Amino acid sequence: MSIAQQPMPRTGSRRRVMSRKARRTAWFYAFITPWLLGFVFLWIVPLTLGFLTSLTNYDGLNLPDLKFVGLNNYARAFTDEDALWSFGQTLKWTALNLPAWMVLSFILALILNQGVKGLGFFRTAYYLPSVVPTVALVWIWKIILDRNAGLLNAVISVFSPGTAIAWLTSYALQGLTVIAVWSGLGWGMVVFLAGLQGIPDELLEAARIDGASTLQIFRYVTIPLMTPVIFFVLVNGLIGSFQQFVVPQLLASIGGGAAAGFTQVPPRPVYLSMNHVNRQIFNFQRFGYGTAMLWLLFIVVAALTVVVFKTSRFWVYTEAKEK
Amino acid sequence: MAVRTLAVRKRRVSSRKVVQSTFSYGILTLVTLLITVPIIWLLITSLKAQTEYNVWPIQFLPKVPQWQNYAEVFASRHHIFRYAGNSLFLAVTNTVLSIITSSLGGFAFSRFQDVPGRNRLFSVIIALLIIPTLVTVIPQFIVFSRLGITNTYWPWVLWGLGASAYYIFMFRQFFLAFPKELEDAAEVDGCNPFRIYWQIFLPNAKPVLATAFIQGFSGVWGDWFTPVIYLTSKNTTLAVKIATAYVTPQGNTIVTVTLAACVVYILPLIVMFFLGQQHILKGVVTSGLKG
Repeated sequence: MSIAQQPMPRTGSRRRVMSRKARRTAWFYAFITPWLLGFVFLWIVPLTLGFLTSLTNYDGLNLPDLKFVGLNNYARAFTDEDALWSFGQTLKWTALNLPAWMVLSFILALILNQGVKGLGFFRTAYYLPSVVPTVALVWIWKIILDRNAGLLNAVISVFSPGTAIAWLTSYALQGLTVIAVWSGLGWGMVVFLAGLQGIPDELLEAARIDGASTLQIFRYVTIPLMTPVIFFVLVNGLIGSFQQFVVPQLLASIGGGAAAGFTQVPPRPVYLSMNHVNRQIFNFQRFGYGTAMLWLLFIVVAALTVVVFKTSRFWVYTEAKEK
Repeated sequence: MAVRTLAVRKRRVSSRKVVQSTFSYGILTLVTLLITVPIIWLLITSLKAQTEYNVWPIQFLPKVPQWQNYAEVFASRHHIFRYAGNSLFLAVTNTVLSIITSSLGGFAFSRFQDVPGRNRLFSVIIALLIIPTLVTVIPQFIVFSRLGITNTYWPWVLWGLGASAYYIFMFRQFFLAFPKELEDAAEVDGCNPFRIYWQIFLPNAKPVLATAFIQGFSGVWGDWFTPVIYLTSKNTTLAVKIATAYVTPQGNTIVTVTLAACVVYILPLIVMFFLGQQHILKGVVTSGLKG
């Protein structure tokens, strides 16, 4: 032992360095063990089993009857009229909700960034709806948009008596958008406002001295510098929109007594993809078909996200690019 | 002459400013109204008698405010304390566990940059932040139901123990700003990394702890879908109770009392929001933008 150490003291010190590194590695993995276990057992295992399920006729109960059906479940989604309808509605809803929500939050952030008095008050007030949990959110809007007892029809009736517009069925897509914008406005506004406040004053001042008009400053300074924030909000909103199903489901089943689960079907205009998936699984126990549609939906969302990421280099401003 | 034109210009500019700011405040006030009217309408309707709610044409205000609606919310036959207790238990258990495991992870990813495998694992965290949760919810349900732990509270415990990529990221961002010297000094003094985490980092992470707690608590408290698929009417949460609504002994829905229950249900979250407002609004921003 002493012979090995004596001729080369450097090895000893290197070994001590190594052991420090090994110790640090051990600590690191000890710290992340809970997450690693969670990652394996709550993500990898279910996802693998979920994928295998999608290749079978699993009904949640009988393993003896389990049959391998290949890609049949996937093929079925393309001939299932309800699946296609719900996907179409999901696209429409995303196309309606995303721009409305982003533009309105952006405008509000712009106004609040003008140095208005009472910034704190407005910011808090606008964020408040984001605090309201979904079930309460749906109740709040149900008593406004309801055909008979709702506030909106009542107010319109003051000017045009007898108005009874079915906001929650015939106009459910627009109704859902209003609900979503109301509840999401605060979050979008806070994020955009933080982005706007991060724009250096010198840049705006320099543009002003160079004689740029307010509109020009907005177009050529504010917008480019805000693109990373817009990108972040866009990706978040896109993923969120495609996963929407709780509000449509609750619009159908809220207040339904014991049947407030999945037995009621959301109004046709807001029968979204995830509503269709949940119905297959929790109403009809079609686990194979349901998980297959989940994967298809996931592919669509992932593809859209990738498209946004890939095109981002054409429109998202990064400092590195300018240098 | 020159002085006069300057004064005129100044006045013109300021009058333009006045128009502009009137316009700004006009819009801000309008939006404030649009935001608050639904909430005020909820409060008003929660004070109506059920017959006043159903009447056509609508009656805007209750003749006599029905304060007993709020008493009815807590009437023993509705078991609100049991449901609220379940919500509270699940929210606190899940959030506290998740904060512990995630802050450990966040500490590891922020202070052990040189460890082999760290970078690859961190990109997994980033990927998990973006992957839509829709792909995991139902497969997890399938696994848990085969394990026979649906209809129990174990899933919430397991989700907590399994940490969350989002909170890991949040804690990591916060811990990154801690000076390296702090850690070195403690190490020289013979502190092991766990003690550094427990006695130095965690006590100094109050803003993130508050944000994570409020976000986690609100998430579980407000969650309707998970208890609906996992639990039964016997052991379910307040969210589900309010969605199923309050009913008369004959089984008819009483909307107005349910709305009063809604107010009671939202209240803890509003209080928490006001208490932690500064941190939350900052948290919304940092967790997203400084990536």
